[in-house]
Amino acid sequence: MESGKTLCSLLKAIQFQECAVFCAMPEGLKLTVEEGKCVQASAYIPADNFTEYHVRDEVDVMFKISIAVLAECLNIFGSGEESSLKMYYRCEGSPLLLVLQPQSVHNVMTDCEISTQTADSLLDLRDEDAEEVAKLILKAPAFLGLLVDLERSCDVLELNLSPEHPNVSIVTYGMQDRSCIDVPKSSDMVQSFSCEEPITLKYQLHHIRLIMKALALSTKVVLRFSSNGLLLLQLKLEKEDQKQMFSEFYIVPLLDD
Amino acid sequence: MKFRAVMIDTGPMREFSNIVTTISKLSKECVLRLSTDQIYFIVSDDNSGPTPPILWCEIPQSMFFSEYQLIGVDDEHKDIYLGFISANLARPLVTLKSAKTLKMKLTKKQCPCLTLEIEMPSSTSPQTRHVTHDIPAIVVPRKIWSDFQEPQVPKPDISIELPPLKQLRTSIDRMRTMASDVVIRASAEGRLTLQIKTDMAKVSTRYKGLRVDTFEGPIEHSDSETESQINEDLSRVCVCRVDAKKLSMFLSADQISHNRIICSIVHKRLVILCLQTDENVKLQCFITGIVY
Repeated sequence: MESGKTLCSLLKAIQFQECAVFCAMPEGLKLTVEEGKCVQASAYIPADNFTEYHVRDEVDVMFKISIAVLAECLNIFGSGEESSLKMYYRCEGSPLLLVLQPQSVHNVMTDCEISTQTADSLLDLRDEDAEEVAKLILKAPAFLGLLVDLERSCDVLELNLSPEHPNVSIVTYGMQDRSCIDVPKSSDMVQSFSCEEPITLKYQLHHIRLIMKALALSTKVVLRFSSNGLLLLQLKLEKEDQKQMFSEFYIVPLLDD
Repeated sequence: MKFRAVMIDTGPMREFSNIVTTISKLSKECVLRLSTDQIYFIVSDDNSGPTPPILWCEIPQSMFFSEYQLIGVDDEHKDIYLGFISANLARPLVTLKSAKTLKMKLTKKQCPCLTLEIEMPSSTSPQTRHVTHDIPAIVVPRKIWSDFQEPQVPKPDISIELPPLKQLRTSIDRMRTMASDVVIRASAEGRLTLQIKTDMAKVSTRYKGLRVDTFEGPIEHSDSETESQINEDLSRVCVCRVDAKKLSMFLSADQISHNRIICSIVHKRLVILCLQTDENVKLQCFITGIVY
């Protein structure tokens, strides 16, 4: 890979747990982090981001790795430095090898051996039977600004979606107040809106906040709501070249008492 | 005892300010030794009583001061040793970067003080402002002068030039988040390796093509700690394990404009980092090795 910088910032965006499950597939790399049984975050790096990418098809490359250590290693020459990256992994139980070389200095290189563990099973939050009931495409910076404005002390975020005006309203309940943000579909930040039936969903605000780091890196965010209330956020990363990277968050809703 | 010195050139004043700032980052307390030709900053280890200094900085006075008067206690003891809280000294000197002149003298107020008179240009008028700082000092009694002698170090096994400090420090700081100590390995072929090893990861940053000043090999490796590397003659490799935090602290000295930095290693015992500037300032830092 020409530069490990974007990868590193993507990892930092989902770094809310110590360990991530690292999975290499023919299409690309995927790193997944889970918070409790409620949030699952993944970083996708499609294979075309790498100048060379090989995965043996007969083996499942999947292991657990410390995401903090991986991020530090990728950043070993500092965030100002673009460094080329090579990654190797032999087989189960062997460490993940990284070789980094900064682009501006030639007499130095770093090699890292990061120990790996057998991966725990990941949650499969997707439910094939639950259909998508609403889809929303927003500009990421604007959505981030909106989340930043939300009262910090609140626990619960309520989302009301409806085909009628105001389309999207975000409600938070604090100690003494109730605050509400309406986003009509004509708003600049809404790029697309589809919703047939009005729905109301509640989420832990703390869970929603986990996506903020990733939002800061992204240009566009797609929110998909399925009929069982599961929220899927897909974020497209901002990058200089044409290659794309993504992150994805599944967030489980709160049930009514 | 009498001391009076004046600095009028902007270059040296900036340099002096940088040196003192760096020293204040490396230590809580420091000793300033004034002698006829040189002034010295000496730092002993904070928490372990009278030990040999861990930092030794010598500054030739003639390069910095336009006037320099020093009278010691008597003819036998011409020097003056003053103890300071490093930060107290560094903070007023920060303003030197834009100052016109600096006068330093030893005064007796409620306690002995080093008085700094800094003349600052005014942005609105041609007149200047005079700012006076009195920095409380402890006059170090003669009987403990011997604690502040230049450390006698064994002859290093290797002296190798270091790559740019900033680069090195970024790497060390990343490593520091993962492990508390770093193994420095230098070879007579001009290779320098910094390595950490933890349960989670083994990370090595390797530099090559560095200039080797002296090599006093061969080195004896008698234990298992040094792992053998392919194609490398172990008798030409020198190793020392040091505290990552101390190493990183010294590397923050990169704000002093230097012309070269030499890292000397006494195999498994000591790392000496020595920074030299164009004005012949020499800053040395001694980091003892950690042996398991």
